Amino acid sequence: MTNRRVGIIGAGAVGATAAYTLAMKGICKEIILFDIAEGVAQGKAIDIAQATQYAPQPTILTAANSPADIKDCDIVIITAGVPRKGDMTREDLLMINAKIIKSVTQDVMKYSPNAIIVSVSNPLDVMTYAIQKITAWERNRIIGLAGALDGARMAYQIYKKLGYGAGQTGTLVIGDHGQNMVPLPQKVQVGDVPTTDLLDDEEFEGIIERTRNGGAEIVKYLGTSGYYGPGSAIAHMVEAILNDSKAVVSCSVGLNGEYGYQDVTVGVPVVLGKNGIEEIVQMTLNTKTKEKFKKSVDSIQEGIAILEKNGFFE
Amino acid sequence: MAKGKKVTVIGTGNFGSTVAFILAMNGTCHNVILRGRNYDVTKGKALDMSQAANAARQHTIVKAAKGPEDMAESDVVVITAGAPRTPGMSRDDLLTMNAGIVKMYAKEIKEYAPDSVVIVVSNPLDVMTYVALKYTEFPRERVLGMAGILDAARMAHFIYEKLEYGAGQIRATVMGGHGDTMVPLPKFTTVAGVPIEDLLDSEEIGEIVQKTRNGGAEIVNLLGNGSAYYAPAKSTTVMVDAILKDTNQIHSCAIMLKDDYGYSDIVSGVPVMIGAGGAEEVINMTLKNLQVKKFKNSVASVQEMVDKLHELKFFDDLV
Repeated sequence: MTNRRVGIIGAGAVGATAAYTLAMKGICKEIILFDIAEGVAQGKAIDIAQATQYAPQPTILTAANSPADIKDCDIVIITAGVPRKGDMTREDLLMINAKIIKSVTQDVMKYSPNAIIVSVSNPLDVMTYAIQKITAWERNRIIGLAGALDGARMAYQIYKKLGYGAGQTGTLVIGDHGQNMVPLPQKVQVGDVPTTDLLDDEEFEGIIERTRNGGAEIVKYLGTSGYYGPGSAIAHMVEAILNDSKAVVSCSVGLNGEYGYQDVTVGVPVVLGKNGIEEIVQMTLNTKTKEKFKKSVDSIQEGIAILEKNGFFE
Repeated sequence: MAKGKKVTVIGTGNFGSTVAFILAMNGTCHNVILRGRNYDVTKGKALDMSQAANAARQHTIVKAAKGPEDMAESDVVVITAGAPRTPGMSRDDLLTMNAGIVKMYAKEIKEYAPDSVVIVVSNPLDVMTYVALKYTEFPRERVLGMAGILDAARMAHFIYEKLEYGAGQIRATVMGGHGDTMVPLPKFTTVAGVPIEDLLDSEEIGEIVQKTRNGGAEIVNLLGNGSAYYAPAKSTTVMVDAILKDTNQIHSCAIMLKDDYGYSDIVSGVPVMIGAGGAEEVINMTLKNLQVKKFKNSVASVQEMVDKLHELKFFDDLV
């Protein structure tokens, strides 16, 4: 992976913030932005390119005039899709975004056939599944952003409760990137200390609830989805892949018997490296967590069923 | 506006020099004062580091101290002075030699940098922290020993060697004295939240615990002439940064216990929350029976050394 070339499809707030974060960290050699709205990718690419003057490493920022310019990328980040509005559920987005994703994915297959795809469009797990079906690539190359973001939101909630330990709290969230996600605050540590020594059951329940609503809370204030958290979480995943750092990150990934499931895409801890997903980390789940995880998988399968019903895969 | 931060590093051996160099590269403080026995050598190192800071586009200036008065207004003072451990020498052999050195510097810190937070890294660590506390007469939150961060880093490295992933994300916990009786806690150890017990079997974990205990000695034996300093120096600067940036993060450090974990008037390694004022809070974790027993052994080994110093009338000059 010597090119360190990253394509970003969709230069809205999430895509542009991911590009900005990557550029400020100096992680890639080149970032190519594409957006369906004319001028958006061009304007943002220039703005970010000028900001790189103060970054630790140079990054080349360019705008693609057509999907054909997202060429020979090592990683393509798909953020395309319409954003979630205040009263819109993730499911409402399903059919609109699935159609957008299909055409974008076909472009990626044509122009960056060796890329690893980081899928960000919502509903996340179902879109990641759709990309997997459309490309028919090995599962290690299709990775959905989920736990990296939800985990950061959970760590924030733990920090808010404790008033210390910012930036040193574990981020373990599994399941879908939606209402049925399974945050596991009881499993993580703050620095050296298990959270179970710092918080009680009621506080854990509050943290789980607020983590689940983490995205919706921001939508409520902004009228549109958050993008700083997602942008940073994407950059974290891209960095792990480009640097082959073998970091453990929860991501939405196609399961093939792991955790007892097949033919579904859902968030579990994985090892990220140069091949994308290097390994799926198998945790022991207790009975209660297994039940929650099943509910989460069920909700994703419902989404997949909607796609099938509408003849999406035909 | 707050003034620029100042850190004094006492001792210009490999350990002290590496601490000062990391600080200069990080740019977390504006002034680093190096105190060494030989002024010219110290000044040479300080110049070299100041020039490196410019290469790194950092603002940190490293200066050599002419005398103890140059420590004035330090936010943090790091005591690395003391004889290093050489092959065959146990940490305990160092006791009387280093206690005298730490006592001398502690008295100077009390006089010239009375508002600083002191980080002790001289060995045997827990006893030296005890000595520094007694002779600075600072409140306990301002005298800390560097131990758990290093031991946990070593444990995390050995876990990484087994797993071959998760480097930098392994949260290992090591309590107790920074010596042969340290208490690594694999039950509290996770890789990005995944319990280590889901990833390694008990035999592998046992091996890692043993390797962690021997982590320092392994390097001493390999080097043949002195002990490790890269990981120790980095672990020390983690504490310095936490204080200067007032991060309120949790790190395991040696500190005087005051009804913590059932002990008082003895120094041992426990998790503390570090901020601008030092260890602003001691975190009391729930330990299992076996861990309670191991921690007891660890505290007892530190107590033995303190008792030995009492026997030798080391503390008799305390008012």
